[in-house]
Amino acid sequence: MADILQILILGLALGGVIALMGSGLSLVFGVMRIVNLAHPSLIIGGAYVTYWAFKMTGVDPIVMLPVASLIMAAIGVLLYRLMFERETKSAKYSEMTVLLTFALAMMVEGLLGGLFTNTQRVVSPDYATDAFFIGDLFIPKGQLYAGIVSLVIITALSLFLKYSRLGYAIRATTQNREAAELLGVNVNFICILAFAIGIGLAGAAGSLVSFVFSFFPAKHWEWIAMLMSVVVLGGMGSILGTVVAALLLSVIAAFVGTWIGATWSTLTFFLALFLILLVRPQGLFGEKPEMA
Amino acid sequence: MKLAKFLTTTAAAALLASAVEAANIKIGASLPITGGLSVSGEKHKRGYELCTKLINDAGGILGRQVELVVSDNRSDPATAINQYERFINVDKVDAVYGTFSSRLTFPVASILSKYNMVHPVPSGGALRIYEQGYKNLFYFQVSAAEYTGKDVMAVMKDIIASGQAPKTVAVVSADDFFANAISAGLLGQKVKDPATDKEIADLAPGYLADAGIKVVMQEKWPEEGFNDWLNLANSIKRSGAEMIVGLTASAEEAVQLTRALKTVGATPKLVYLSQGAQNEFIEGVGKEAAEGVLIHTTWHKDVPFEGTLAGKPFNNADFVKAFEAAYGVEPDEDSAIPFAVCQGIEQAITGANSTDNAKMGEWLHARTKDNPVRTVLGRFSWDERGLAKDKEHIMTQWQDGQLKFVYPKGEFEGVVPFSYPKAGF
Repeated sequence: MADILQILILGLALGGVIALMGSGLSLVFGVMRIVNLAHPSLIIGGAYVTYWAFKMTGVDPIVMLPVASLIMAAIGVLLYRLMFERETKSAKYSEMTVLLTFALAMMVEGLLGGLFTNTQRVVSPDYATDAFFIGDLFIPKGQLYAGIVSLVIITALSLFLKYSRLGYAIRATTQNREAAELLGVNVNFICILAFAIGIGLAGAAGSLVSFVFSFFPAKHWEWIAMLMSVVVLGGMGSILGTVVAALLLSVIAAFVGTWIGATWSTLTFFLALFLILLVRPQGLFGEKPEMA
Repeated sequence: MKLAKFLTTTAAAALLASAVEAANIKIGASLPITGGLSVSGEKHKRGYELCTKLINDAGGILGRQVELVVSDNRSDPATAINQYERFINVDKVDAVYGTFSSRLTFPVASILSKYNMVHPVPSGGALRIYEQGYKNLFYFQVSAAEYTGKDVMAVMKDIIASGQAPKTVAVVSADDFFANAISAGLLGQKVKDPATDKEIADLAPGYLADAGIKVVMQEKWPEEGFNDWLNLANSIKRSGAEMIVGLTASAEEAVQLTRALKTVGATPKLVYLSQGAQNEFIEGVGKEAAEGVLIHTTWHKDVPFEGTLAGKPFNNADFVKAFEAAYGVEPDEDSAIPFAVCQGIEQAITGANSTDNAKMGEWLHARTKDNPVRTVLGRFSWDERGLAKDKEHIMTQWQDGQLKFVYPKGEFEGVVPFSYPKAGF
């Protein structure tokens, strides 16, 4: 029983971090239909901001989180205006964003490599490799703190989307862009805001990832498939879905890794992607697409 | 009139430039500068570039400057193959330097063999690469990865003799060419040619069984995308193994595994990792967790290897000094090994007095223990497969935040006693 509980704890701890990594991706798709393949590379950008702040001043990565988030959000505004704004009326907008963001991912990787070299980095505050030991069980402090902070941020984001005026506007734009525009919503501003929040979330995730996983510029290729699996399973655009899917898949992967073998744990994410696309393409919490 | 003069001058300049280019010795290297192997790829690039610069500063090879052409293969085997084809057929390079990792070297070796190029391999230790019958393959490290376990057990010889050695072991590894090769030797598995399924070697009973160490856990993680390190470390801890063998494919994985073992509070007597001699390892895991971790390596900054460069003595200490001056950081083996490859090719061209790869290959094959290639990794001569003869790994151990070498004993100064057992993480 203790073994099962331990695996569950480790799965949930990992899932909390993955949820935050995926939530920005989901938000950006939900509001703007941008399939942002560059999202993980921007997470790594946030991780580098945190790493260098820790290295130079010793500032804790969790304290650094709002700063990394703001820096990445500002970069998000710039990217949106440069790359996406003029293409929003295109009939093939979503398809185009796949290619655009793929190119962006490679550019960000190259830029990070040029600025910070391809050397692997990891932030090491004391709690990153420590744990609370309770009898036979242990709870890793780094993952626990990262998971808690993730859930706080996601809850705050959900409350913002649900109760604030800007949140209404974002949700209205998500549901029906044209109708929102007719009702006086400045859709372009809302898109910029949502993109900035999405990339800001990547920055926040970067701060947390910086002490949970080691990273280097090319690491994003390993994360994109996992994050896409989580976002698709949860329902593209659904923050709640992303959280549920991240926790669910991480727990399943932890059990698979322990009972069947570590080789298969990663496969859990891809198998889930495959199955959900076959059985329920809109995901657990997504809306069924209207038939043409 | 003015126009005619301008055109004549331009044409003359173009001809001169092309003549200068033709006089250069062009050498191509496809490296994983981006992608999953980029951490080591970039360091390899630095090793090649520094060596080339020093050769050119000293007057070049056979009086010709060396032009290094490096392409980023994005850690992708197909791209690496295409780039070497391009070097040979389009760029018309005179020679090539090898790429990083067994995964990329295996397919590249067949292409370079097809064009009869000398293929100096900086990284690609899997035995199956050397059993394909390629003629001009030269591995610039110690013998094939399958035999690494021999040197690990040699370090443990004294504790095995006194009955203090660990009795049980957990062997965890990346599902990767290199890690699988070391694992095969330790566990006594058969090595097969992936194309024909023909048996290349039967390594039974394996170095661990030979030493009387029982395997209580064996696990592999996928080559890419694995994140569940804590769960893996927890399984290792629960196995109760007294020794942990972590065969990681990269230094990054070594950091992840060690941090996870520290987090779960594992308490093995001995930890051996296949990677972790790099500076990033100690930065990533910290002094306490690294203490006592044993790692095999081909190079260490303090080993007094004697090499040559541009016909003059150029020792390991000279390399460390030059590298620090050029890049402002201490080198590690990922830069030292390609530097040695470059030294080897320079000596081959000089020795053969030609950039004809057939002649260079003949010259390299003719090297002996007493008349070897001399590099910052020491002396090299090769068997007919291309594996280095008479070389052993340098076994290193992190002690008090410093990477010390603990084996081979008595060969050079600076070898410190092997620290055992490890006092937790």
